[in-house]
Amino acid sequence: MQIIEKKYPPGDFAIWIIIYIELITFAALFIGYAYSRKQDIELFNQSQLLLEQNYGFINTIILITSSYFIVKAIEIIKEKENLNTFFTASNCILGSIGLGVVFLILKCIEFYDKAQEGINISTNTFFMFYYILTVFHFLHVILGIIILSILYKKTRIGVYTQENHIGLETGASYWHMVDLLWIVLFPLIYIMR
Amino acid sequence: MNKKTYIWFILSILTTMTLFLGENKTFTFTSLILVSFITLLKGQLVIDFFMDLKNVKLKYRMFVSLWLVFVVTSISIIYI
Repeated sequence: MQIIEKKYPPGDFAIWIIIYIELITFAALFIGYAYSRKQDIELFNQSQLLLEQNYGFINTIILITSSYFIVKAIEIIKEKENLNTFFTASNCILGSIGLGVVFLILKCIEFYDKAQEGINISTNTFFMFYYILTVFHFLHVILGIIILSILYKKTRIGVYTQENHIGLETGASYWHMVDLLWIVLFPLIYIMR
Repeated sequence: MNKKTYIWFILSILTTMTLFLGENKTFTFTSLILVSFITLLKGQLVIDFFMDLKNVKLKYRMFVSLWLVFVVTSISIIYI
């Protein structure tokens, strides 16, 4: 089977500049966390045990599935073009949005639980990083959901076609970045010790 | 099964494996290496098949892949 090499990444190239910048920013935070942990390993390990790993696990599955729905939406748009295409593809995006909202709700419950236990950003260095990393990511999820909502509306009315779906790919690329960041964040904050 | 569905399934299995490794009371050196490797694998699957960078010009794909390798390797080295 012949593999056709595409020149540029999917979507508008401007989104990739943003993605590259976001990745560099998060890399600095991830490595900053690891380095700070090295200064007080016991504190980080003890504090990490106060987190509920299942929240991190479920949220990872949610984001992976949400990303998958967007992939399906693009596949459907590229595959064929009729009224049902727009309906099915937009429903996939709606599923993706729904999962994004569930992610936010679970994160809010987790933040609430921690607040009830008297834990906040100034509790210690671990929780400072925990809140900075997860709240920063949380804000990206909110922006992602806003973008997906616009994509949903446009897909529903048939703006994206087999020939022109660059806007859809642009938004999808951002959403996959949000997923990629969480794939690193989950083991770093919840698992590795 | 569709290729992308298959990728989603693998990602879910790998995530479950990460949770099992983390749930163990003793998190050893081997656990750290395994979790790091799984994270690299999951990240690369997302980059290649969800972000769809597998067949784009090498420099665009490499930036994201190198970012992943750099971040996960740096974290692992600092942890060791």
